[in-house]
Order: sequence, then C-alpha cells, then structure tokens
Amino acid sequence: MRIAVLLSAGLHPVSGAPVLPRVEAQAIRLAAGLAASSEIFGLHAGPEAAAVAEALGQGLDRIEHVAVAAGEDPVPALVARLAERAPDLILAGRRSQGGDESGLVPYALARALAMPLMPDVVAAAAAEDGALRLDQSLGRGALRRVLVRGPVVVTCHPDAPAPLAYAYGRARRGRVETVAIAPVATPAPALAAEERPYRRRPRIVKGAPAGGSAAERLKAATGESGPAGSGRLLIQPDPEDAAREILTYLRQIGVVAAPAEPKT
Amino acid sequence: MTRPRRDPRAEWAAQFVAGAGLRPRYDRTRRAAAGRPRRDPRSEREAQRVGAAARPRYDLGQAGRPLGEAVVAPPRSVPEAPQTIIVEAPAFLVAVVPDAPGGRLSGHDRQVLGAARALAGREGAVAAIVEGACEGLGAAGADRVLRLEAAEGYDPAARAARVEAALAALAARHTLFPESLDGGDLARRVAVGLREPLFTNAEVVAAKGLVRPARGRRVEQSLAAPRFATVAPDAAADYAGPPREARAVPIDGPTPPPPKSILSATRIPADPATVPLSLAEFVVSAGNGLTDLDSFRQVVAALHATPGASRVLCDAGLMPRHSQVGASGTVLAATCYFALGISGAPQHLQGVAGCEHVVAVNTDLHAAMIERAGLAVVQDAQAVMPALLRLLAQETAGRATGAGKAP
Ligand SMILES: Cc1cc2nc3c(=O)[nH]c(=O)nc-3n(C[C@H](O)[C@H](O)[C@H](O)COP(=O)(O)OP(=O)(O)OC[C@H]3O[C@@H](n4cnc5c(N)ncnc54)[C@H](O)[C@@H]3O)c2cc1C
Ligand SMILES: Nc1ncnc2c1ncn2[C@@H]1O[C@H](COP(=O)(O)O)[C@@H](O)[C@H]1O
Repeated sequence: MRIAVLLSAGLHPVSGAPVLPRVEAQAIRLAAGLAASSEIFGLHAGPEAAAVAEALGQGLDRIEHVAVAAGEDPVPALVARLAERAPDLILAGRRSQGGDESGLVPYALARALAMPLMPDVVAAAAAEDGALRLDQSLGRGALRRVLVRGPVVVTCHPDAPAPLAYAYGRARRGRVETVAIAPVATPAPALAAEERPYRRRPRIVKGAPAGGSAAERLKAATGESGPAGSGRLLIQPDPEDAAREILTYLRQIGVVAAPAEPKT
Repeated sequence: MTRPRRDPRAEWAAQFVAGAGLRPRYDRTRRAAAGRPRRDPRSEREAQRVGAAARPRYDLGQAGRPLGEAVVAPPRSVPEAPQTIIVEAPAFLVAVVPDAPGGRLSGHDRQVLGAARALAGREGAVAAIVEGACEGLGAAGADRVLRLEAAEGYDPAARAARVEAALAALAARHTLFPESLDGGDLARRVAVGLREPLFTNAEVVAAKGLVRPARGRRVEQSLAAPRFATVAPDAAADYAGPPREARAVPIDGPTPPPPKSILSATRIPADPATVPLSLAEFVVSAGNGLTDLDSFRQVVAALHATPGASRVLCDAGLMPRHSQVGASGTVLAATCYFALGISGAPQHLQGVAGCEHVVAVNTDLHAAMIERAGLAVVQDAQAVMPALLRLLAQETAGRATGAGKAP
C-alpha cells in the first residue's frame, strides 16, 4: 500500500515559530501503524522545503517537496503530483495551523482527484480484500466505524493517538526531495478578506434571549434563570422516593435511557 | 429638529372665557394644545380625601388625580399568543443547513438559525434545509423549510450532492452551516462541489460583515457577508422573536447519488467506563461522605456513567487519581453531574462549573453542592444508593418478565 501524508508549513500558535502541526504528526503515526511494509511518503507544496523537515524525525523517511510560490494555492500542484504517484491512501490534517486554518485543502484535493473523503478519523486498520476500516470521531468519545474501499482521502482528528516521539537519528537519515511539476487544475476561488489584530469577544451568555434587558442577561449569567435557579430541594425524603425522583430527573434531561417498554 | 414655535397670543386666545363681563377672563387650567398637562394641586388634594366626615381625612398614599378628569386606563389586554410572522415575498433568502441529529435542532443549530435571522433582517427570509422531519424550526427563526428525503446509512457525499442540488434551486444570497463535526464536513463538500469560496468558523455574524480568527488567533479576517460560511459554536445568539412561519417549499425530484465507496458504517457509543473524564457526558462522583464504595461502583455501572471523585478520596487512594474532579483534577464538560456525599469546596466546584445539570445527595442542608444542584436531596447517600439500585433492578426485572410496570 502506498500512503501519502500531506504536510503543511505550520506556525506555532503562541511563538509563531515554524512547527509541524500536531494533527499531521498524528497522521504520520496513523500511516506508520497501518502497515509496516507499505511505502509512506510526505508531500508538501510551498516555497521552502525546510519548513517540513521536522516531519522526518516524527516517522517519515522521505518527503517530496513541490515548489509553489508563497501565497499561491497549493492544491493544483498537489493534485498533479498525487495523480502521478497514485497513492492508495492520502492522509491530511483536519485543519492547518498558522495559516487560514480553513481545512479546505483535503476537500479540494478529493474533488479534483475524484476520490472519496473520510473526515475526522482517529484510527485506521486494513480490513479484508483491500478495504480500510476507519474510526471517525463523533465527539465525546463516541466513534463511527466505517469500512471503505479504494483510494481514499482521510483527514486526521486531534483525538487520534499522540504522535510518535521525535527521533534525531531518523531526522538525520531522512531526506527531502524537490520535484518539479506542471500544475493542471485551476486554483480555487479565494476570498479577499481584510485583516486586523485579533480581538477577543464576549461569549454569548447561554439562555439569555437576544434583545433581552440587562437584568435578564445578569440572571442568565449567574445561573438564576437556569436549572440551578429553579432547583428542587428534597429534605429528608424516603430513600425510595429520593431514588425515584433522581431517576426521573436524570431521564428528563436525557442522560439515562428510558426503561424499555415491557413486551406484551 | 426644531420644536414647533410657540404662539403665546394664540394660547391666550384659546383660554379666553367668553361672556364673563367687561373684564376679559382667561381659564388658565385649560390645557395648552401641546406640552405637559398643567397640575391642579387643589383638585389633586380633593381626590385624596376619604369619607365625608366633618374633619377631613386624606389618603396620601394614593396618587392624586384631579377630580374632574377621570383617567380611563386602556383596558389591559391579556398577553395573547405571539403572532406568527409571515414573510410573503422575501427580497432574498438566507439558507441554513442545520445538523439536526435525530430530527431535533441542536443548540448550535439554533445559534446558526439566529445568525441567519440577523443576516436576513426584515426583508429577507431564512430557509432551512433539513433531511426528513425536524421540529421547532419556526420557533428557531426559519421562514421556509426545504425537506430533503432522509437517507439511511452514513453517506456524506450523497448528502452533500442533495444539499448542493437544493441550494442551486434555491438561489440563496447567503448559506450558513454550523462549524460542527458533521456540519463543517458538509459545508466544505458543498462549497468545493459548487466551486464557491467558503468563509469558515465565523465568530461574528452581522449584516455588516463576518469575522473569523486566523493564524492561531493572532489576526482576524473580516468580510462583507459572503455566499458560503460556517458559524463557530457560541458565536451567535438564538433567535428570540415571535415564531416564524416555517412554510414548506417543494423541491425537485431526487438527485442521482454519487458512486458509493462506503461499504458499511456502524456507530460505536462511547464506553462510559473508559472515556476520559473531560469528555464524559454523565459523571457520577463520590466524596468523603461515602463509605460504601462498592455500591457506588454498582450505581455508576447501572446508570452507565463515568465515575469521578473528590480529592479526598483520591488522596486516600480509594479512587484513582485520574478520576479526580476539580481545579487540580479534571474540569468537566459533562451534561449532568451527580454528586454523592460531596460538600462542594470551591476547588471542586470549579471542575463542575461547565455542567448544565447537577444532582446532589448530601446530609448537610447547607453544603455548597446542595446550593449548586438542580435537584438536591438532603438524605444519607448510603441509603439512597441501594434504593437506586433496587429501583433499576426492578425495572430490568419488569422488562425481562414483561409483567412489571416502570414508574
Ligand atoms: C490547592 C487545592 C486544590 C484542591 N483541588 C481539589 C480538586 O481538584 N478537587 C477536589 O475535589 N478537591 C480539591 N481540593 C480539596 C477541597 O478543598 C476539599 O477539601 C474537597 O473537595 C472536599 O471533598 P469532599 O467534599 O469529598 O469532602 P468533605 O468536605 O469532607 O465533605 C463531605 C460531605 O459529605 C457529606 N456527608 C457526610 N456523610 C454523608 C452521608 N452519609 N450521606 C451523604 N452525604 C454525607 C457531608 O455533609 C459533607 O458535605 C483542593 C484543595 C486545595 C487546597
Ligand atoms: N501546502 C500544503 N502542502 C501539503 N499539504 C497541505 C498544504 N496545505 C494544507 N495541506 C494539508 O491540508 C490540511 C488542511 O489544511 P488547510 O485546508 O490549509 O486548513 C493540512 O493539515 C495538511 O495536511
């Protein structure tokens, strides 16, 4: 099996220094765990090859670098190279880090290559006759196990297993190769947005109606109007009654399943 | 802005009392055409007089009204049911594609509908595109509803194709998606499929424009409302006005589904026993007031919850350290927190701050946990736990034999 891992040039969210985004390191681990005998290579499109050299120490032996001018859409170059190499599995991060963070690159690639895309995968394993068994995160620890066939684009979710440890020797042995490519696809339409320094905004107070008065907002913020405000207090009830009340309450808010109807 | 010019001569003329002898007489109590009504302290005082006894008595508590001028308050109408707002011929449409898991709007869906309502303003209409039946769309702010036929199984590509076809037919000015796991995925598929740029993860949605964070939240990008956008959670307020019409709009026949690549999809629910405490949905927690940890573990298993504990129990080695809830343990994001024998120290309550519902059992009426709880039971936890277990066992037995009746 041939696996391509897409690497973007990430920036650290705090220091702004170049760094390999964590989800992409996790994607490398997913690829490494999938099949030891398969060919795994990284692919980066950008002006600098050095930006992704860190990935060599995280478990890749070879990275292909396609030169693309800074600020240009990397998708046409990536599509051209991936069409040439025809990998069976393309792994990408869920969102890049330090750029636009829009997460559109894998979707544009899947569309251009006419491949299916499976988002937010946390585990991957090979199944019978060439199919892949992927576990998608549904949040809160729930998973969806999907069986897919054939070349597929997969994006990796941050809940996937932690990346492999950085190994200096591997980083020294690995190599980054620059390949020349003639892009074929047309770049995606871009939005001309205006930029300014980030400003934190107050979070929406849950339960406060839009256009409500200041007193209503204060009530919602202090929880007086919520369930805490209308709390029920049972003083020294019979334990059986207390248990019944608790169970009814838990069912009402939907955290405990209702008792199944007795079969008649 | 100019005030109307006063004409004192005309005011005097209006107050003139005709036929009152030679000397001209003016009735100064007569109200001027505009402005504040003139007070008449004498008649106000008279109105406060109670009884007709020789010695006058006044009720100063009642606001004095001049006797002659009966105040007719407009009859207070009973607040009627708010009228449904109908937008007959909208100037433009704002489409929303909610996730609506299980035919019910999530909190995030409501926020996106509220954001769409803000974009639509008075002239526009909000059109929700849902799969299968979905309730509460009108109250959440939808003027129109497009119902796609629900598909079985998990096939995001087919769903995206259906939504694309519906959006192409609708010709909406803006389309909003929730930036959730499924909604964000669908938005990207649809935008790439229609070759439209997508404005992702908008944190401000207003008619003036949308704002999103970028480059690790160091800059923000703003744009006049784009055609396609996804809205971050907790970025917009729910729609709070009177209910909308949610009129059903017919749509064309089914679109041919794209080739299937998914062989099978099964949902694996989170295992409450192993899910990390910070992700758990329902946490049952034990404190220093519990002595019977065996029945506590049985209660946790019977309720399908994730076990938690206060620091005292973790320090004593009775519960594992990774189950500690609180400032120096895990901060929960659970929907419900069930505290047994926990006093509710500030360090512990910090971990529970994000929980929507709290149930507490404690012998102390004045414990902080009792105050925080939505359902508080002042009772011995050692007695409540076996009662809970008995109740749950009864229900299971009733289900098995088919004779029992759930309360
Ligand atoms: C720096 C610092 C950090 C801390 N961080 C944490 C933290 O992260 N998490 C944390 O939990 N604590 C933390 N603590 C400790 C915290 O201050 C409290 O000491 C601790 O939370 C108290 O635990 P408790 O409520 O279980 O015990 P107690 O305070 O002893 O309360 C026991 C409660 O059980 C009730 N009770 C007794 N018998 C029964 C019965 N039979 N049935 C029902 N109820 C009964 C009592 O009325 C009482 O309210 C921290 C403290 C410090 C100083
Ligand atoms: N220039 C690039 N070269 C290779 N892969 C990229 C590039 N940009 C983005 N990707 C991949 O696409 C994912 C999502 O990126 P983005 O759409 O920019 O948020 C990243 O995690 C990478 O795996």
